Parts: sequence; C-alpha cells; structure tokens
Amino acid sequence: MSGASDPAILSVESLSIALPKGGDRPFAVEDVTFSIGRNEVVCLVGESGSGKSMIAHAILSLLPKGVGISSGAVKVVGQDTARLDRRALRRLRGGEAAMIFQEPLSSLNPLKRVGEQIAETIVTHQRPVPPAAEIDARVQDLLGQVGLPNPPLLARSFPFELSGGQRQRVMIAMAMANRPALLIADEPTTALDVTTQRQILRLIDELRRERGMGVLLITHDFGVVADVADRVVVLRHGKVVEHGTVEQVLRHPREAYTRELIDAVPKAQVRSREDKSGAEALLRVEDLRKTFVVRRGWFRPPREVVAADGVSLTLHEGETLAVVGESGSGKSTLGRMIMRLTEPDSGAIRLGGQDLRQLRGEALRQARRGLQIVFQDPFASLDPRQKVGDAVARGPMAYGTSRAEAMEQARALLARVGLTPAAADRYPHEFSGGQRQRICIARALALKPRVLVADEAVSALDVSVQAQVLALLAELRREMRLAMIFITHDLRIAAEIADRVIVLQKGRIVEEGPTAEVFNRPREAYTRELLEAIPGRRFFDQPGIVEGVA
Amino acid sequence: MDAVRAFLRHPSGMAGLVLLLAVVALALLAPVLFPVSPWEMVGAPFTPPGEDGMWLGGDTLGRDVAAGVAHGARVSLVIGIASAFAAMVIGVVIGAISGYFGGAVDLVLMRVTELFQTVPAFILAILLVATFSPTLTTIILTLGAVSWPPLARLTRAEFLRLRKREFVEAALCQGEGTARIVLGHILPNAISPILVVTSLTVATAILLESALSFMGLGDPNQMSWGFMIGAGRTVIRNAWWMSVFPGVAILLTVLAINLFGEGLSDVLNPRVSRRRA
Repeated sequence: MSGASDPAILSVESLSIALPKGGDRPFAVEDVTFSIGRNEVVCLVGESGSGKSMIAHAILSLLPKGVGISSGAVKVVGQDTARLDRRALRRLRGGEAAMIFQEPLSSLNPLKRVGEQIAETIVTHQRPVPPAAEIDARVQDLLGQVGLPNPPLLARSFPFELSGGQRQRVMIAMAMANRPALLIADEPTTALDVTTQRQILRLIDELRRERGMGVLLITHDFGVVADVADRVVVLRHGKVVEHGTVEQVLRHPREAYTRELIDAVPKAQVRSREDKSGAEALLRVEDLRKTFVVRRGWFRPPREVVAADGVSLTLHEGETLAVVGESGSGKSTLGRMIMRLTEPDSGAIRLGGQDLRQLRGEALRQARRGLQIVFQDPFASLDPRQKVGDAVARGPMAYGTSRAEAMEQARALLARVGLTPAAADRYPHEFSGGQRQRICIARALALKPRVLVADEAVSALDVSVQAQVLALLAELRREMRLAMIFITHDLRIAAEIADRVIVLQKGRIVEEGPTAEVFNRPREAYTRELLEAIPGRRFFDQPGIVEGVA
Repeated sequence: MDAVRAFLRHPSGMAGLVLLLAVVALALLAPVLFPVSPWEMVGAPFTPPGEDGMWLGGDTLGRDVAAGVAHGARVSLVIGIASAFAAMVIGVVIGAISGYFGGAVDLVLMRVTELFQTVPAFILAILLVATFSPTLTTIILTLGAVSWPPLARLTRAEFLRLRKREFVEAALCQGEGTARIVLGHILPNAISPILVVTSLTVATAILLESALSFMGLGDPNQMSWGFMIGAGRTVIRNAWWMSVFPGVAILLTVLAINLFGEGLSDVLNPRVSRRRA
C-alpha cells in the first residue's frame, strides 16, 4: 500500500495560507508538508477551524477571495496548481484531481438528471468528445461501478429522488468519470448514516485499489481514520501536530493533543449501570402513530412516510433512554411528538398522570414545564437577536418568576454549565458551537424539568467538545435527578450515556433493552448491522468487549 | 450598528439617502423659503422660468411653480410615508396571522390577498377615492389599502420560514405565549426584508398619489406634484416648465427612495452584503 518509491501524486510543500487582515489568526494554514503516493490514503484530521478544508481547497485552487497561498506550494502530479492558468486548472479539476464534498445534495444540480451531470464531466474533459452512445454507456458503467442498482433508471433520476447515500455515490461516480489520479474527499460521510458511511468508505477504498488512486480524506472522526487511512496528518489551528502511519499515530500518539482527540472518541464502552426500571414510571408513551403524507403532483399517488408505527416506551425517574436509528427511522419525530411539536396521528403521551395529547392552551403550557428539549443545531436553536441571559430567563418569567430573580437564576445556571455569568449580556453569535449548546442546556434546565429530550444534542460538535458536553449532561442528570431521552444516530454515544436503548427502524421499535444487553447480545439482525458499522472497531474498544485494548 | 456602518459605505444607497434628505429638507423648509401660499397668484400667467422673481416660472394662473414644487414635496412625502406605513401595518398583521397560524385561516386570508392583487391597484385606488371624498386622510388610507398585498405575502413567507426554526420551537417549549413568540422572536428576525419592501412602497405610493392628483382625484386643498402636472399638461407645448419641474421632482424623489431601499436591502440581506465585503 505504500507508495514511497513512486513519484508523489500530491505533494504539499511547506504550505502557508494567509487569511485577510483582522481575522482571528494571520494564517489559516501554516507550514504544512505532506505527500500522497499512488494507491495511498492519507487522512487529514482536525477539529473545526483547524484549516483542513482550506488545504483541500488550495489543492484545486478553490480558495475564497481574499485568502491566498503566501508561501510554499501544492503540486498535483508534479504541477504547481497555483501557477496554472485557467484552462490548465479546468483540465486539472475533475480530470487529474477530483473532489467530493460533505453535502451531496447541494453539490448536485437539482434541475438536471443525474446521468446528464455525469456525462457533462466526461464531455468537459475528454478530447475528442466521445459519441453520445459511448458517453451513455460510460455513465451507466460508472453508476454500476459505484454500486447503484439499475443504472439506466438511475441515470434518468433527479437528485431529489435519491437517498443521501445514493447521492454521494453519484458524486463519486462523477469524480471517477475521468480516472483521476487524486481523489479529494472533504468529510464525505459526515452527513450519512453509519451503515451508509461504511458502504461509502468501502467503495472509495475499492476504487482506490482498482485504480491506484491517491486519496486525501478529510475527516474529524478518528473511527473513520482507523478504518481507511494509511497515513494520518493531525492538524490544529492550521499547523501539523503529528504526522505518521495510522499504527503510530493511533496506537502511540506522541503529542498530547492527538491523545486528547483519540481519548475523546466515544468508545462505545458499556459501563455497568444500576437498573432504574424499578423506579417510578415518569413518562409513558403508548402506541404512538404518525404518517407523513407527501403529495407528488396531480397524477401520482401521494407518498406516505411512516415515522411512528405503534411506538410505546416508558421512561423511569432518573433514567437515560437512548433512541438510536438511522436517518428516516423516525427518532427525531418521536422526540418532537413527545414535546408536542409534531402532532401524532394517534396514541397517548402520559406525563404525571395527564395525557399531553388531550391538553390544549393554558393546560398544555403548564404541562410543558416538566418537559424540555435540547436541539441538534446550536446555531439554529438560539434567537440571534436575543441576549443569552434573556434566552435562559425567559422560561421562568413566562411562568411568573420576577425578572430580577429569573436573571439571577440564569446567571447561576450559565455558570453551572461552564460559562462566565457575564455571558448573560452577550448575543449568541459571540459563542462557539459548544458554548451555544451549553447555553441551550441551561435554557432547558431553567424550568427545572423532570424529563429532558436531547435530540442529537452533541452531533454537530467536535469530538473533544462532544465529550465535554456529554460529561456535563451526565453530571446535571445526577444533580437534578433528570430523566433523559437521548436521541442519537451514534451508537458509541448511546453506549456511553444510556441506561436503556431503543433501536428504531422505519418508525418501529426493533429492539429494546438495557444498554449492556443490546450491545453485547443484540437479538436482531438490524441491531447487529448497526453495531458492525461503527467506524474504527479495529482500533477502539468494540461494544460488548468491556476490557479493551487501547 | 454594523448595518449602519455598512450602509455608510454603500455608494448608491448613500446617494439615495443624500438625495432623499435634500427632498425632506425642501419639504421642511418650504414655509420658510416660500412663505406665500403656493395657491397665491404672485405674477403674470405663463411667466417663463427666471422672470418676475420666479426661478421655475409661473403657471397658467400666475402661481409660482417653485413654491408649488416645494410645498408639494410635503404632500408627496407625507402621503408616501404615511400610506406605506398603513400598508405595512395591514400587510404585516395579515401576513403574520396567515403565516403563523396556517391552515384554514391562511387559506382565507391569502385568497383575500389575491383578490386585492388581481384588481389593478390604480383602478381600485380611483374607485375608493371617488367613492369617499378626496381628503389627505382618505387618500393615505386608500393608498395603504391598495399597497399591502406584497407586504402581506412577504411577511407570511418570512413567518412560515421562521415558525419552524428551532429557536421558535424552543420558545414554545419554554412556555412563552403566542404574542410573545410572534412579537419577540419571529417579527424581529423577519423585520429586515419587510423594512426594505416598505421603503420601496413609499416610492410607489408617491407615484400613485401623483397619478390620482393628475386625474383630478387628489385633495383639492393640497398643492401636489401630480396636480401641478395635471394642471399644466394642456399647455405643455408652449409652457413646458409647468409640468416638467414637478415631473423632475417626482423622478428624483422616487429614484432617491429606490436607491435608498436597494442599499438597505443589500445591507440587511446578509448574503448580498457578504458578497460585497
């Protein structure tokens, strides 16, 4: 797998990228050197803001205006990309070097059929342009190679008709169309489910082997690194912290920062938990059903998506219940129905003897007190025009606490979640993602709820921040005797935090039980499939094996 | 405050603002600059510009055109701003109710809005003014009543977009009441585009008022630009100044407001302003 003897496909030589003046640091990337040989996968790992995407963009000369290479060079198959004229650059992009992005939906033209889009990359780069029939055959061939079923039909589909995984496969087919020597993949699986993630990573790996491509994979997930990389470059604040083979970096990290990152990866280690099912049942969800009906034009039957198909669950006092499943399994809808943000078709949600579904108006408002939610995206869930202190104090004030008292509580709570009390007078945009999520937690807890619904509450955060927020939630849960419904797609996190786990698939509970049991002795094939798809199982402790290797 | 600073650097927006301030100054200073009523006959009829102490000439009855333009600025601005404000109030209330509550309420309100949109605004304005007596108040209300549909549609769209946002849902879960959610969370985040469209509505209202006055449907007690053009139009071939100067005044005012509105839109719309930065 090592390409040391071959000339490098990509060589980044002491690259520095200057940021415009007045930024938070002078360089986005500083003195970064690494290279990729034939048939080699190199992972760039770092947290958000580490400059990893900047490097990828610099390789294809796609840097935003005002940002430029200040010293060093990027060479793709020997060509310095910064010195190429526009025509040569066009030949390079999508020709020698292809790129795939994180969000496959926004990288595809929504108004053009998938086949046409792939054909376009061929037409742009092949001289002389092959005849239409040959292009058509090539497109279908490519769609077949990336493992898409029924290529002729798929070529005629529009991007919105495909699933996220299928779209990413189309992007890969597009990238492969001109047999690139280098594939740059910028967080290609971050927006995908674990099982899809595993398939896509496998696909990239197979294609790499077949064609001897060099692959630059940008990721924040050490699990992914462990699964596919030959070598790793760890970045922090634009500088290389550590560089070496996967074995070296993951098993024997030299730098403290690398160790921190690796330690922060949720290990899916099931800790022994006391059984809380004997405690009083706090929340009871009975036979909840919800079907979304999507109308599709006049002549086609409406599409029905079942989000909940008779879901029942019980949450005991002080218990943490993880709801896991892939996207589209209905796990978020379940949380939203419990919060009464989405109206179920039928069923009951009983909290403290009342059925929340029967409540209206003031009675519902009163009942809402006991039930709070933390959303996934900390950037969308705070009002940009409301001061943080107000955001936290608003809840108690709505229930009659005086402003002075509520503000005092808010300051105390902000301090409790690890922010300075002075944060109360600032606006959300002044805070980082992790800090915002702490604010959201403070806001939810201001009403002293008995049940907290955390909907993918740490999914948008960097691993190290993720670990801190999870630790905070665990502390608060003990302190306030909170019962928590923790909705997540990440089984590693579920294993770390939950007492009990529910596995959802297409709106149905597939498996339910104490965490240790579900992870160690999964009864259902679907659960096993999910567990096997957890990235980095080779390196990190696997669920079920409590005494691990690392 | 960032928006103010960005606006100060916006060339065409600032040009519009300066021009608009000039028109406002003219309107405010009209009684000082031309203490004699613009209805007063102060010279011979058909005085060409520059003669008899009348820079812009006199009209068919010997009234000072310059005084008319200055006093007309007050009428045009008052009517333009007041009716745009009226349109904003009607539009935002209807759009907000429609967007927030949705369902049957939305259906009914939007059909009503469409009804207003399908009838040409000017015809409806003529009808309303002709039905009620043309006074300053009725003209303002009439123009407000024909200009609100775009604002209602815009407000509804913004409310639909924001209503499902997580911070609004979080406020709902926190137990905040409907009024508080609408006024405290949704409206402040929707206000930028509404303000932009309102500022452009001012320009349309001024044009509509001029057109009404031109047709003789304006307030007969108010000297307005449209009235002046209407009165001078029959003699435009031998006394061009009577209709040209008020016409230029309308052109410059509307241009100023449009430039200002566009500038406001660029500054308040983050996607555009980021491109400029």
